[in-house]
Amino acid sequence: MTYTSIWIAFAFVLIALLLSLWQRLGLEKEIAVGTIRSTLQLLAIGYVLHFVFHSDSILFILLLIAMMIAVASWNAASKAKKLRGIFGRIALSLALTELVTMGLLVTLGLVSPTPQYLIPMSGMIIGSSMIVCSLFLSHMNREVETSRGEIEALLCLGATTRQAVQIVLKRAVKASMIPTFDTMKTIGLVQLPGMMTGMIIAGASPIEAVRYQILIMLSFSSSAAVSAVLISMLSYRLWFTRDSMLHS
Amino acid sequence: MSTVMEIESLGKKVFASADSWLFRDLNATISEPAIIGILGKSGQGKSTLLRILGRLLAPDHGTVRMEQKAMEQWPSALWRMKMSYVAQQATMLPGTVEDNLRTASMLHQRPFDQQLARALFEQLHLEQVEWTKPAQQLSGGEKQRVALVRTLLLRPAVLLLDEVTASLDTRSKLATEQLLVDLHKQTGTTILWVTHDLEEAKNNCERIWFMADHQLQADMPSHAFFQAPPTEQARDFLQTSLAQAHPGAKEVHPI
Repeated sequence: MTYTSIWIAFAFVLIALLLSLWQRLGLEKEIAVGTIRSTLQLLAIGYVLHFVFHSDSILFILLLIAMMIAVASWNAASKAKKLRGIFGRIALSLALTELVTMGLLVTLGLVSPTPQYLIPMSGMIIGSSMIVCSLFLSHMNREVETSRGEIEALLCLGATTRQAVQIVLKRAVKASMIPTFDTMKTIGLVQLPGMMTGMIIAGASPIEAVRYQILIMLSFSSSAAVSAVLISMLSYRLWFTRDSMLHS
Repeated sequence: MSTVMEIESLGKKVFASADSWLFRDLNATISEPAIIGILGKSGQGKSTLLRILGRLLAPDHGTVRMEQKAMEQWPSALWRMKMSYVAQQATMLPGTVEDNLRTASMLHQRPFDQQLARALFEQLHLEQVEWTKPAQQLSGGEKQRVALVRTLLLRPAVLLLDEVTASLDTRSKLATEQLLVDLHKQTGTTILWVTHDLEEAKNNCERIWFMADHQLQADMPSHAFFQAPPTEQARDFLQTSLAQAHPGAKEVHPI
């Protein structure tokens, strides 16, 4: 694909801008910023990946993965700004999830340890785990608020914070994992995943593309479970004060 | 014999940052097991005080001592086992009535005292309630009494009761009051009892704590408080409460 094609593709943005102006939606700034940011970010990551693939250095690969984890953690942490120390806990959850999932994929010989495989697959695993963490935090915030009476009743009976929050924690973990498994049920029927579509467009055989997609999808099931359980174990204490009271 | 509890210069602000106090400089000593009624108009911080004592809320000033040890020195779970709070709105935990009753024994890996639970049920007129019934399906009054039994099975040294009889019918209310008085006499449990029911306070409490003007204005024997309210606010409070309870009365005298 040439750069001219990309310029032509900006016509799609023009349609969005014109519709926004015509309907007075006031979204022109959002559309412009979104367009510019996504284009620059993708161009930049394209050049970065080009450089990393050619350098073939483990250090650059690790650096890139660390950056992905940091950005994903920052994004997920924005869903729970009131919880002090949540960023570090999300980062640790994502790092351990990445380590377990990619570690298994590489040691079982399912993907070769080259940047071409490690980086895109890490991106997908971290991205899906980030969504799981965000969902967990949103559900947990809501659950703690609605189940305050239950939690306090247990505290009054001498429960530890872990015992008091156990039921709520379980519900939030479950709710954060459900979308991953719901997606697995409809994949290929309702939507064709981006990675598979990308491979087909780039000339790979659809059968080959599907094999990789199955691999990714199955690894998502483990990463969703690992990240949800890890973030729940690492973060539940943050809803309590140092004195084991629920934050008001 | 060591004191049951000492409250030292306790204060709680309305908002954490502002300088407006719900109550401040609250001092009291419970030197021996007693039933203490906590009275005062709404908004004086009676429930807040109980929640602080139950360690569900942090004070903004001062501390509370139990067995000569400040609350911060106690592991919070242990403190709450010894000084347990029962809320005005009873919350049933998921599961059956029996699951709720077994909570304390499950949490602390203690044997479940079924005999005591049955006896308490009987005393509170709950013998008709099936233990296999989902706890959420109980009526408000049943939930309140089951929540009380659930706490009593923990055998706390101090019970913090927040208007626990407010949602009960007269028969259940009297049974609950009798149970609490018996419990205090038989086991020496100290009971701090927030109530708006003056008859209940007069008939069952040995001492009265009266809260007004952001302070604990009175800590005195119950009969003395009702015979000769010590402050203007206490007199007003008793008169207003009695007038509300007996709207037809032309003149209201202390009870």
